[in-house]
Amino acid sequence: MLLPEHDFVKPATLAEGLAVLRDAPGDVRLLGGGTDVVFNMRCRLLTPDTLLSLKDLPELQGIAVLPDGSLQLGAACRLTDLVAATVLTERYPALVKAFRAVASRHVRNLATLGGNLCLDTRCWFTNQTKEWRDAKGPCLKTGKDVCHAIAGAPVCVALNNADSPPALIALEATVTLASSRGERRLGLQDFYREDGIRHTVLEPDEILTRVTIPPTTDRLVFLKETARQGMDFSYGAIAVRADGSGATASRLRIVLGSLTTAPRLLAGAAERLAVLGLGDDGLDAACATLRDELGPLTNLYSPAAYKRELARILLRKAVLELREMQA
Amino acid sequence: MKKGFITLHVNGDAHEVLVSSQHTLLDVLRGKLKLMGTKEGCTTGSCGVCTVNNGRGEAVLSCLTPALEWADQSITTIEGLEKNGRLAPIQQAFVEYHAVQCGFCTPGVIMSAQAVLNLTPAPTEEDINDGLAGVICRCTGHIKVKEAIRHVGEFGPTP
Amino acid sequence: MSKPEDLSVIGRRQPRLDGFEKVSGRSVFTDDIVLPGMLHGRILRSPHARARIIRIDVSKARALPGVKAVVSNVDAPDMLFSEKQPLLAKGFVHYVGEEVAAVAATDPLIAEAALDLIEVEYEVLPAVTSLRRAQQLDAPQLHEWAAGNVALTHEKDFGDPDAAFAASDLVITDEFRSPVQHNTLAELHVALADFTNPDKLHVWTPTQGAPMYQMALAKAFGLETSQVRIVYGNVGGAFTGRGRAKPHHFIAALLSRVAGKPVKIKATGDEEFIMFRGSGETQYRFRTGVTRDGKIRALEADVTFDAGAHAEWAMILWLPAPYLNWLYKVDAVRYRGRFVYTSTVPKGSHHGGIFGRLSAGWMQHLNHVAEELGMDPAEFHRKNAIDPGHHALDGSDFASCGLKECIDRVVERSGWKAKYGKLPPYRGIGIGIGAQASGGKNAANDTSAAMIRVADDGVVTLYTGIPDMGQGSHTVMAMITAEVLGVEPEDIRIVGGDSDITPFDWGAFSQRGTFTTGNAVKLAAEDARAQLAGIVGPLLGVAATDLKFAHRRVWVRGETPDATGRSFSFREAIGKAFNGVQGLAIMGRGSFNSPRPSGSLAYSFGAQVAEVEVDPESGAVKVIKVTAAHDLGRALNPLAVEGQLDGQVFSGMSQVLYEECRMDGGQILNPSRLEYKLPRTYELPEVEYILVETIDPYGPFGAKEVGEGPIVVTMAAVANAVANAVGEMLPQIPMTPWRLLRVIRHRRNHGLAPAD
Repeated sequence: MLLPEHDFVKPATLAEGLAVLRDAPGDVRLLGGGTDVVFNMRCRLLTPDTLLSLKDLPELQGIAVLPDGSLQLGAACRLTDLVAATVLTERYPALVKAFRAVASRHVRNLATLGGNLCLDTRCWFTNQTKEWRDAKGPCLKTGKDVCHAIAGAPVCVALNNADSPPALIALEATVTLASSRGERRLGLQDFYREDGIRHTVLEPDEILTRVTIPPTTDRLVFLKETARQGMDFSYGAIAVRADGSGATASRLRIVLGSLTTAPRLLAGAAERLAVLGLGDDGLDAACATLRDELGPLTNLYSPAAYKRELARILLRKAVLELREMQA
Repeated sequence: MKKGFITLHVNGDAHEVLVSSQHTLLDVLRGKLKLMGTKEGCTTGSCGVCTVNNGRGEAVLSCLTPALEWADQSITTIEGLEKNGRLAPIQQAFVEYHAVQCGFCTPGVIMSAQAVLNLTPAPTEEDINDGLAGVICRCTGHIKVKEAIRHVGEFGPTP
Repeated sequence: MSKPEDLSVIGRRQPRLDGFEKVSGRSVFTDDIVLPGMLHGRILRSPHARARIIRIDVSKARALPGVKAVVSNVDAPDMLFSEKQPLLAKGFVHYVGEEVAAVAATDPLIAEAALDLIEVEYEVLPAVTSLRRAQQLDAPQLHEWAAGNVALTHEKDFGDPDAAFAASDLVITDEFRSPVQHNTLAELHVALADFTNPDKLHVWTPTQGAPMYQMALAKAFGLETSQVRIVYGNVGGAFTGRGRAKPHHFIAALLSRVAGKPVKIKATGDEEFIMFRGSGETQYRFRTGVTRDGKIRALEADVTFDAGAHAEWAMILWLPAPYLNWLYKVDAVRYRGRFVYTSTVPKGSHHGGIFGRLSAGWMQHLNHVAEELGMDPAEFHRKNAIDPGHHALDGSDFASCGLKECIDRVVERSGWKAKYGKLPPYRGIGIGIGAQASGGKNAANDTSAAMIRVADDGVVTLYTGIPDMGQGSHTVMAMITAEVLGVEPEDIRIVGGDSDITPFDWGAFSQRGTFTTGNAVKLAAEDARAQLAGIVGPLLGVAATDLKFAHRRVWVRGETPDATGRSFSFREAIGKAFNGVQGLAIMGRGSFNSPRPSGSLAYSFGAQVAEVEVDPESGAVKVIKVTAAHDLGRALNPLAVEGQLDGQVFSGMSQVLYEECRMDGGQILNPSRLEYKLPRTYELPEVEYILVETIDPYGPFGAKEVGEGPIVVTMAAVANAVANAVGEMLPQIPMTPWRLLRVIRHRRNHGLAPAD
């Protein structure tokens, strides 16, 4: 099946791209590697008037260490290039693990960092062909006031299945959003919204241009649970970052991915572990907070009861792994 | 643009082709250039039968990438692996190791294997698993596919 | 029959003869064929699981420029797809995805746009979208002829089951369920039909066998069978999924007839998961009676199959009864089966037929019986296993049988005795056994035929209708031909995949390729050899029967094939025949059909041991090793046999652990190769092959099937290994993490398993 008709635009510079985004009529979609957007266009879930290719924009390239030790990643960096970058493999092995966890090498050879961060939310009532959706009937995302995943849900509860956000959020990464109005920078955790339709705060005239990771010597663990190891979206993923060493940590950031509509920062669990340590008592106390922190879960792709269990399993495994690591 | 001429360098030959924004790279390879060796499978990036190599020798899914992105780029398809009328070592190994059964996924699997060897001439088990996880083959269960890649990795091209 | 030492080609590790074409991208599959003027067909499908059709209006679609044909039931009102199933929906739709109308257009996008212009008005009716619901007393009745939604039942007793159960010391009952599963073939469903000449219908399509397609299409379009030509050069996998023509084959033909142009229909998007006829939901109740010392007296299975909306594949209902009595010496067998309608796509089978899924449950049940008796399951199976010469209750005879040897060898090679019951928690080891018929006769015949032409230049051409779906049949048929004629496999050219050219062959069903077609090819080659020998023998001064054919030479038996003895090269010999007085063009013919009134002449047997590790935290399963022994009579091509075993081990573990169409109101929630899970490279276990050669008296060179027997056993062994790891029988496949976690939690909470 061919893609829906659209205008394909490949600007030479960011300024040119931003101008297109501002001026082009109708729906303009940003294209990174295309592995998510093309997929959704085939399903006629997206029928943009314009596709704006960002992959080769010079302003969106490169991996740089800034004078303050921060790491800056261009949004158009391919995941393959991030996986291979020495500066990343040496300093952030767990982050590299997260990038490498995305799909398959085939996909990572096309897919970009910006694309993974902006990956559309997924739902098995929505990410289907048009015929399939027509048979089921439309939903919140496709034009009606109905949610097939959670009856009566007021907002779309599709899942954020991207693998790289949890680790980047744990690292307190920021994203830079450019528009013809100027630039703004915000923490990646604030980039996401608990709404499967408008799942990020990216405005229609904005482009995510780069990601900045502040310097840190903290420990970081990333885990992803899937049906199969390669070429799969996760059932659940976790990134846990901690200072200190062994079972001692005073400051933690715990982020769960794929279980909810936005990556979930678990403040309560982090606080228990900081107070009680990473030993079994701390872990039990942290796990006890999960039910409240997660709230209602969907049966999308795996049962809600399993998702709840998985959050606990991932937290335990990550903390056990963290305990074995030196700062 | 909605439609326009682009130049594609496929298997060393330059082709000027009229491409629409509705075409993926796969549509152009099969539909316009009649390079039928690259197969159309799920068209959603999951099965890997449409795999070709980009200019860096990496495996990419031709079904998931708009053709217009490939203006002036180089692509190698299964038809481009033979040199001087001889099969590439990986192709020969696939025959010898019975890494081919029904053969429908074979072009995609071989282009994935070739990409592994391009990047890691002596691939580890992990390199092979990672490089081939993007394709699916119920016939062989990938077992003899991995043997064939290991063989080329260990012994290199047969003289 | 030849002794092994006499064989020069058979038993060789022969790379496939079409390997060069397949690895170089030259192999042509159906979608690679573009005919002049070819149109693109698309099918409008029902969005409802059950509804009355009030109105269909195709006028707007017909008016769209580029649209060359639009068809709905009014264009073929009496055309049936199966017994009670109109080709295009008539008055009612019975499942989501049912074919309602179709268009052919000059461009795929126009065809897609035309579908949107067809107006169909429905009155939605209550549907039944699960097997459980279909059997409830208050469930809507889906077809007027099927009270309780039961399409068919089948009851079969062998021996006296009541007496045998009464004589048992212990009777155990277990229940089991298997899900909707999809064949996920590499090459998606596709058909290209050219019906521009009303006297001839050409259809290019992947298939497991041309005759069933020819007969069905001929009947529908009022043609003789031979007026339908099926072309199936390369077939991108089958896995039980291409047994019969599907609606898209008929629709492509109908559109082509109406438009007067060739029409191609291929699955797009999720259609692959709508066109399929894979496994339906199935419920099993197994009951077994044994004596204290572990002898099986009675076996019983009660199986309820989800037929889907139409009983297209009713034949699968009959299959379990004989299977139950092929493995063990028992006093009696009872089978109760029923086929139940649901408002879902009609169902058939997945890789392994009905036997794989049945085994995943039945073998867990039998291991449960062994454990209740305090017996090692391997010993339990061996104690009851049949021997060569066994005459089964259903009348089957087993001339060759290596079942006990298979059990003994996997027990030894897997280290079973050191591991069973002695592994650490959540490590498991499981054994399974199985049997499979090599071809089989139901009503008519089970015929395969073959022709061999030897050209005057010595080139041998084999004409065979057996499709090569990847299993390597063409290469094996060339090896058989080469062995008989004393040439090399590379000397044989194969002409296949075209019903206009090749002699009759039912195709690759019921594991009949190697055995039945192999016998036909062997007969054809022997016929050709006898013709040649009749000329050459007198020239060398001996009787035709005193010649030896090998290494591309013909010589007098007992002498040497060189200048010192009386001999010709094969090519010289052919020259003598063709250029001699008789001017004989050599054409060999062979036709083989089992002389038995029903059933099969030969059965393969197998045993496998699987070892797994279950992560008790996450419920994830890792298959570590599968040790597979298969009694295949003789390995004609061990390289291809290993390939068959690899694929079946992979597909078997995949079905037990991963594969499931997750259903919602008659729709598949995961209709993609991303979400319908199959394992990939990382999940592969180590596979050890043990080929047990029992040299069957009826098989070609002693060979039996190896195309489906192993997967049935893999599914049993893997299921048992997981059950062994978690400590109890798992009532359902696939054994997903959440299903395993539920069992592990339950056992921990009840003190039945180690705590965290």
